[in-house]
Amino acid sequence: MPEQTKGLVLAGVGGQGVILAGMIVADALVRAGHDVKQSEVHGMAQRGGSVFSHIRWGQSVDSPLVPEASAEVLAAFEWAEALRWVSYVREGGAVVADLRTIVPPGACRNTRSWATTYPGVDPDLFVDRRLTAHLVDAASTATELGNVRTAGSVILGAVSRFCGIDQIHWEAAIESLVPRGTEEVNLAAFRAGCEVGEATIPVAPAPPEGFSGPHQIEIDHTWCKGCDICSRVCPEYCLAVDLRGQLNVVNADVCTGCHLCELLCPDFAISIHPPSTEVVTAVD
Amino acid sequence: MNDVKKYLREWAMPHVLCPGCAHGIVLRSFLEAVDQLQLAQDQVAMVAGIGCSSRLAGYADFCTLHGTHGRAPAFATGLKLARPELDVVVVTGDGDGLAIGGNHLIHAARRNIDITVLLLNNSIYGMTGGQVAPTSPEGTVASTTPSGNTEPPFDPCQLLLGAGASYVARVLAATPTEMTKVMADAILHPGFAFIEVVADCPEYFGRYNKAGGGAEMLTQLAGRDTGVAVQLADKRFVNHIPSSETAPGLQTGVLRRETRPVFSGVRGGGDHGA
Repeated sequence: MPEQTKGLVLAGVGGQGVILAGMIVADALVRAGHDVKQSEVHGMAQRGGSVFSHIRWGQSVDSPLVPEASAEVLAAFEWAEALRWVSYVREGGAVVADLRTIVPPGACRNTRSWATTYPGVDPDLFVDRRLTAHLVDAASTATELGNVRTAGSVILGAVSRFCGIDQIHWEAAIESLVPRGTEEVNLAAFRAGCEVGEATIPVAPAPPEGFSGPHQIEIDHTWCKGCDICSRVCPEYCLAVDLRGQLNVVNADVCTGCHLCELLCPDFAISIHPPSTEVVTAVD
Repeated sequence: MNDVKKYLREWAMPHVLCPGCAHGIVLRSFLEAVDQLQLAQDQVAMVAGIGCSSRLAGYADFCTLHGTHGRAPAFATGLKLARPELDVVVVTGDGDGLAIGGNHLIHAARRNIDITVLLLNNSIYGMTGGQVAPTSPEGTVASTTPSGNTEPPFDPCQLLLGAGASYVARVLAATPTEMTKVMADAILHPGFAFIEVVADCPEYFGRYNKAGGGAEMLTQLAGRDTGVAVQLADKRFVNHIPSSETAPGLQTGVLRRETRPVFSGVRGGGDHGA
């Protein structure tokens, strides 16, 4: 009985190095003596699409495409791509996802408020599917090492434990394929990735310095005329006027209490309250 | 920020002004100034003439007087002479104060009577239907100048400097904190204090001249600020200002502050700003 063919899916957006990472994984697997087939779709990023790379390895691989629900591991370089490709992972498989979020233009439903349909970063989305989730903050780790562009190597480090090949092969593949002059930093990033894989990553981004919780925005709809001045001046894009001309709070979590909307509201319709105070429900 | 709604006649709200009209911002800044100075509500008298700007007096819960067109400085002069303990504030517009009531305004300034005049300059007659005003820039399309205004406009501050006002300032409706500061300063000034508040009229000026709605007009206005304090320069609000070729800069801030005898109606009875 031949060893079963295993699969790996790499997903990201244009410019993150998904293709190079796919080549490194394939090279490392070849060095370890596997039969490897790889396939990728690229060039789509400029049209708002994703970039992905399928890799299958084993004794004898017939097709380069990983069937759905069969991959050992999904390596996502971006949060939404992790969600997009999670159906390819087999039950009990693993997801390595970068916490980085890159919001595509297509997710911006309202260019004025920048309200998006981008999903929230929540590891429970994977736990529900009985998957092992490894969330890595690859961009920060790579930045600490001195080159944010080595984030891909950090992710490969986190992925390496699931492929069952010796670390020598990984490092040899990285050394031979990364751009000349960046071998050292990429190897350092790879080793860092091997270690941060197990670490629990805080999911919620740290609030900005001095931010003591969102202020509360109270809108008096009987006085508001929907002139849209407030939503234009809000530096945090907290407010938006909908198609019916009604002003809504679309981003209540980030109000810093700068009071610009309150001061520039010609209709006295906005009140900003400090985080601690109780707010009477807005008049409808 | 203080809750200035206590100074509003809430039963009269929402006010009649159009969406995007900056006059409401001016009213708020004035109420903030009154709040900062801790003036009692029955110690402040707002006197107004006719026009969009003059409507503001109706929403402020002070002693208010809604007079005839252009005559607000005349009413205010009488009120101040009869009740010198009041802080008299005139709210007027560019049409009300400079065309119909220009005479009253310059003579009040000449006398140096201790009142404060807020002149809300939106460059057009709003309430009566978008006619060209003495402050409309050349080329302004208005209901009375459908092919563009051919007359040069007034500079209200220069006019009042010439008339001898002892305090002259210009502020923009797009910079409310600056506006509050100057208004508080002007109320405390002994003698005639004149503030030109450059405001917008999205409904007539903006619509006829394709200048956009209230948000666009205020954004453009903030970009014309060449004065002492650019409140919002680091905000998104002013980042995408078009070049100032179409909209020349406006000198904002206090343009003159001097102390000279205040008119009290009695010969030799003027105090020197004590």
